[in-house]
Amino acid sequence: MTPDLSCYGDDIPALADLVGDFDLRSPLDTRAWYTREWEALGELLGFAQPLAAELAARRSAGDWIGATSEAGLTAFAGWLRRSRAGVTDHQAVAQARVLGQLINMGRDRGELWRVTADPTTLETGACYQDESGAWSRAFYPDTAPGYFGDGWTGPPPRAESRCGWTTPLVLHLGTFPWVYSSRLDASGPGLRWTSATAAPAVDAFRIMTSGFQPEANLRQDARQVAAIYRHFKIQTAPLIARLPSYRQGQAQVGRLYRRAGFLHVHQGSLHVAGINGPRGQLPATAYNHIIRRFAVFFAVRRATVRALTTWAPEMGSLVATSMDPCLRAQVKGVARAG
Amino acid sequence: MSRLWVTVGTVLGVAGIGGAAMLYSRRASAASLPAPAAAPGQKPPSLPKIELGPLPKAGDVTGDLTTNWGDTPVDLRPLFVLMEQVSKIEGSSRGFAVIAFRESKFVTVAHNGNAAAEQDERDSSRRAYKNNKDRNPPLKYGEQAAEFGSGGLFGLLAPYFLWTGVPEVGKKAPLLNAPPTLVFEPRAAAFAACVYMQRLLAHYRVDDLADIKVGWANPSLLKDGRGSTKYHDVRANFLGDAMALGIDLTDATTIPPKLNATAWPGVPAVFKALVGALPQEIA
Repeated sequence: MTPDLSCYGDDIPALADLVGDFDLRSPLDTRAWYTREWEALGELLGFAQPLAAELAARRSAGDWIGATSEAGLTAFAGWLRRSRAGVTDHQAVAQARVLGQLINMGRDRGELWRVTADPTTLETGACYQDESGAWSRAFYPDTAPGYFGDGWTGPPPRAESRCGWTTPLVLHLGTFPWVYSSRLDASGPGLRWTSATAAPAVDAFRIMTSGFQPEANLRQDARQVAAIYRHFKIQTAPLIARLPSYRQGQAQVGRLYRRAGFLHVHQGSLHVAGINGPRGQLPATAYNHIIRRFAVFFAVRRATVRALTTWAPEMGSLVATSMDPCLRAQVKGVARAG
Repeated sequence: MSRLWVTVGTVLGVAGIGGAAMLYSRRASAASLPAPAAAPGQKPPSLPKIELGPLPKAGDVTGDLTTNWGDTPVDLRPLFVLMEQVSKIEGSSRGFAVIAFRESKFVTVAHNGNAAAEQDERDSSRRAYKNNKDRNPPLKYGEQAAEFGSGGLFGLLAPYFLWTGVPEVGKKAPLLNAPPTLVFEPRAAAFAACVYMQRLLAHYRVDDLADIKVGWANPSLLKDGRGSTKYHDVRANFLGDAMALGIDLTDATTIPPKLNATAWPGVPAVFKALVGALPQEIA
């Protein structure tokens, strides 16, 4: 039986279908799906080559979900080390500490896709000291209306911030490296979270890719993901609708198209293409990555719920204690169907 | 092909409610689809549509796509690496990236000559055609090439682009029957860029990568113009472009201090590897 994802919205089943369905109980199916999705991630972010090497080294692994995850993390971390440092050591260290706290808090709440906190309650106050001794914010204060939400104005920090925080700290880790709702760019701001001594980007990458893992996926409150997706869709659908549909053999070189739910530049770079919208620049790379993250999340959720009783009955306790009524209903529905 | 300062036109003009599709280019000067020029009152001639193979992907090449690429778009790096592999000009891939950064800002359909303010580019392509048509094999779309200006990833002047390979293989040059719009196909532009770089390395004094960009602007600058203000300006811009892009030209592990084309496999082999076969009516 295919679990009904429409509890999260009528459009969610079609969203999951963008990346295809698969059966976790079938090793072949699982292997093909996870390989394809990890490769798509590597192609878009740029670490496809080291990923291919890491996957090849694990090709005989029995647990392909774990193997791809390990391969992806190793490849990404190695690739990032060879990239340009995007922030100073001081900032990267502060970011890493803050991220660690945010991740712990988000995990407890089952809300890692978007983490929010009063920055003054976090280590270093989510600030870092630059070379001149001045204090700066470790992250961008992303509280203006944007592609993931209508903004977060409060509550204001309880304590005075030494680096000027007047709003909550909000990060969208589920769509890393596009972590800011109001600031999308072609390569993803989160990829700059690396320096010579610290790489908080790797921590954020780990959270983003945790959506691939059935257990971590179940722990994430899908209602939060669906709500952010819905906002993103409302903001982007009018822009995307204006693009022509790609038709093989009829496409114009260099033109931006809609293609199977994603954006496609015919004979051109996706990294220099995009759309200007009322919420700011929407790079084509960002759009594809973000949509794919939402789709992957719900595809893994669907496959996990379908297989739960036979493939991983131990995860049943996660469902029983879940605050998400949709999840509980889906699992019951599958169990009833046998 | 010899040209210096270009502005980059973009191809997309898909305006939406509150939004417009675009290809980012800091030098974008036009937002219309590239079209062949037509005399007043005449219908533009229809140019054949040609579909080449897709851009290569990471899995299609073996070179390093991670180290010392700066902000070069990750989906174009395999093409630059393929150009290096096919041309056998070791270390050239990142040089091609820096050139493309200046010439097109990585927009494959960058077109210099389709905006009102780009008269100089059209003048250049007209001049290129007029001055060279008698000593080169005829171009099937010569008049359109003359009016085209320059374009593509590497900012190639249309007549020179279509005559690519003539010095090497004469009338067997592969693009003589092709329309100038073929320069927007990244694989075709890559082919011409490889041939041009090889020619500069083989026939001119090229001291370093910046000299290649000087020759790209105008090969005479590598001879009589060496040391001129323009020569130094082009070099300075190239070095500045490399820094802005984040490519370290002194990184000997990825870019040798001097490139050489002694292992060049020949125009037909490079064409076959990068472009493949053109449709019968064009070939």
